[in-house]
Amino acid sequence: MAKHFQRQGKRILGLDKQSWIKGFFGGNAGISIVVLFLICFFLMLEALRFFPAHHEGLKVYRQSGQEYVGHLINQAEGYQEFVSFTNQAYFAEYDARFSKERGIKDSWDALLGEIEDEGEDLAEALEDARDEEDEAAIAKAEADYSAFLEELTSEVERESIDSFGRLAKHDDAWEQLLEAARTYDPVEEDTPEFVSQAVKVQKEGMSDFTKAKDEISSAGTSLKDLRSKLVGITAEIAKDAEADKSAVARKEALLEGADTMEGEARVAAIEEAEKIVIRDEFPYGERVKPLEEAKGAHQKAVAKMSAGLVAGIEKIPDQLSSEKAAELVTKIKKGEKRFLENVDRSLGQASEWKYDQEVGFWNSVAKFFFGRDWITNSSWTDVYGLQPLLLGSVLISCIALFFAVPLSIGAAIYVNRLATLKEQNLIKPSIEMIQAIPSIVLGFFGIMILGQQLQDWSQAAWVPEMFRINDRLNAFNAGLLLALMAVPTIFTLCEDALNNVPRAYSEASLALGASKLQTVTRVIVPTAISGILAAVLLGLGRVIGETMVVLLVAGNRISMPDWGQGLGIMMQPTHTMTGIIAQEMPEVGEGTLHYRALFLVGLVLFTISLAINITAQRIIKRLGNA
Amino acid sequence: MNDSSVTLDSADAPALASNEPIISIDDLSFSYDLGKTNTLRNISLDIPAGKVTAFIGPSGCGKSTLLRCLNRMNDLVDTAEVTNGKISILGQDINAPDVEAIELRKHIGMVFQKYNPFPKSIYENVAYGLRVQGIKNKSVLDQAVEESLQKSALWSEVKDRLNTSALGLSGGQQQRLCIARTIAVKPQIVLMDEPCSALDPIATARIEELIAELQQDFTIVIVTHNMQQATRVSDRTAFFYLGELIEYDDTSNIFGKPKIKQTEDYVSGRFG
Repeated sequence: MAKHFQRQGKRILGLDKQSWIKGFFGGNAGISIVVLFLICFFLMLEALRFFPAHHEGLKVYRQSGQEYVGHLINQAEGYQEFVSFTNQAYFAEYDARFSKERGIKDSWDALLGEIEDEGEDLAEALEDARDEEDEAAIAKAEADYSAFLEELTSEVERESIDSFGRLAKHDDAWEQLLEAARTYDPVEEDTPEFVSQAVKVQKEGMSDFTKAKDEISSAGTSLKDLRSKLVGITAEIAKDAEADKSAVARKEALLEGADTMEGEARVAAIEEAEKIVIRDEFPYGERVKPLEEAKGAHQKAVAKMSAGLVAGIEKIPDQLSSEKAAELVTKIKKGEKRFLENVDRSLGQASEWKYDQEVGFWNSVAKFFFGRDWITNSSWTDVYGLQPLLLGSVLISCIALFFAVPLSIGAAIYVNRLATLKEQNLIKPSIEMIQAIPSIVLGFFGIMILGQQLQDWSQAAWVPEMFRINDRLNAFNAGLLLALMAVPTIFTLCEDALNNVPRAYSEASLALGASKLQTVTRVIVPTAISGILAAVLLGLGRVIGETMVVLLVAGNRISMPDWGQGLGIMMQPTHTMTGIIAQEMPEVGEGTLHYRALFLVGLVLFTISLAINITAQRIIKRLGNA
Repeated sequence: MNDSSVTLDSADAPALASNEPIISIDDLSFSYDLGKTNTLRNISLDIPAGKVTAFIGPSGCGKSTLLRCLNRMNDLVDTAEVTNGKISILGQDINAPDVEAIELRKHIGMVFQKYNPFPKSIYENVAYGLRVQGIKNKSVLDQAVEESLQKSALWSEVKDRLNTSALGLSGGQQQRLCIARTIAVKPQIVLMDEPCSALDPIATARIEELIAELQQDFTIVIVTHNMQQATRVSDRTAFFYLGELIEYDDTSNIFGKPKIKQTEDYVSGRFG
């Protein structure tokens, strides 16, 4: 039988041309999927190993007593804050009440310095003359000196009044001061009466506050002493415990090294190796005894500190003439009760500390996700808490969306429904062009121009106090730039969504006598709402994953937002999840706890982005089916 | 605006003397491209009040364009322009500078070729025109919705599911809903642009019945491709060809004894 319809062409490796072409394209698609899975896999692998390592670290933290000392440190630092507030209040009050007296004293000191510097030779001559009791010489020296004083004072009066500016507004005092300078006797070195009077007035006037201040700052001395002592002890324990873990390896390495040596060096190396003690278990119990013993002293020190603080605060005068001081004192009094409660609680926790108490595994998870501190490369102990970074990212994203959403939706509505063809052809490409700006350039713009501008503007009188910008680089600045980056994404997707609304809807609405605006708000936008929502979500995904701009512009300060500032938290520098990875990853050792912590942050970020994207896709899909 | 003025009394509508045509088109030329070519040329036509007037003609003859001139829907095209003549509705030149298209459209409703209810509930669809006029009073809206749905013969079918989506209705129901939506604002004139072309014969028959009912309250202008439909529903018929009005007369005359050869050829199916 004749053969028909046979396949043409050669076969390679048993496959014909069609199969090869199919395989090529399929392979390309497959590679990207495989790469995605590999990325997920390695990210998980590196990140999830954080928890066991972190757990280990937390165990050492407890066993070495660092946990106990941590409580003490918190107490001491909380207390230190009160000392610093009190000092600030003190000096603010001092400045406000005795600016004249202080001016007199400072100006006199400055004037005196000038006189002594310039007239040193003349003063010596005068002293010599007086010693020799030579009338003529004395008269000459005195005349010389008073001529010098005359010249100097008139020069000061004429030219350098600015450097004695504090007194410029108190004319009579200034005159008095110059007069005293003219008659100054370098041998007697008298302080003029009105200057010592000013000093006395200051001292007496502030005596109440001084007492309060001294009482507060001396209350914590013993606590501070205890702190530095115990920090030293526990750091040592932690270090030794760490060394213990590698003892076997080190010993082997030393002995191996000794094998290659000769004579004395060999003996020395072997001796060195023998010194390394190998223990099954590090004797924490023995080492932390000093801490157990210090518990009593700790209680006492805290009691003394609390009592001193309460008594000192009590003594702060009620009537303050400086507004700033009054504000600070209110703050102190407000914080006092809460601080004392916190101290009590933390003291209770500290006294319950036992070095051999079990550390639950979930602690390592909870401490990461809910930890409020992220401290690395610290001489004390590293802490990995996600909260400040997560909140920083969320804060910046919220700011960005706050500006980007209305802008891009408004622009999309305008372009899609109201603009003429000419305007459309101008606006659409322009907005999409924003996407072409490299983020590093935007960041540079943020640092050099926007940051400074915003700071200048925020100093205007009508800007509420909380929006005053102290740091040029802050969340608000970064948020604005990210808003700009999100606009093209949201705008384009939004415009697509609006475009999908049938023309017939707007025709029907207009034919019913609705205006264009009513048509947009009542028919078009409600119909396109899920598409718009998806656009916003994808914009959020873009913003939360952006790195370069936030790294450059957000200020990179790792701290929990100070909620007390209200909306002012926008003006604070902050750090983000993306920023921290970019900043710290180049410097960490591979496989360290820090390294894994950064990977874990990356995993969290990835999960958030994934969730946002999936949600957006779901919404779009549902829209398509409707 | 006072709520009562927009109930079904149309108290604010301009009055019309009897016998006077409600729409008067005088020597109208219209262009979609700023006057380069005229889509409509020198059309003069008076449409009587309270009657059904049909526009017929082959595709592209300008009948829909003329219809859309009447409520100025052509304003949506940037380059559209009336190049000559004028349209007076209720005695008012509707292209005069102080006439607002939005106000005009409140008095001239329109039903489109493809039924296009909003993706809202049935109730909200009917209430839409009143809501955009600022009416919030629930009882006024309820009354208007019920009345309009009853007039468009839909009430009994949907009264139990007013709050469900309008898109769940059948095609014929959706078109009747569009009619209800249009008459809810109590226009004097209802324009219908081939309202049955997307419907099956049964749904078409119901719409035609409805048109006969509505004639009692509204002046209706209907564009149709279907000549039987024109004979069934209309009192007067205008035949257009290539942008010009060829013949305009009582429907029975146009189909029975047309005066012009072209009309006769068209209505007898010899071209078009």
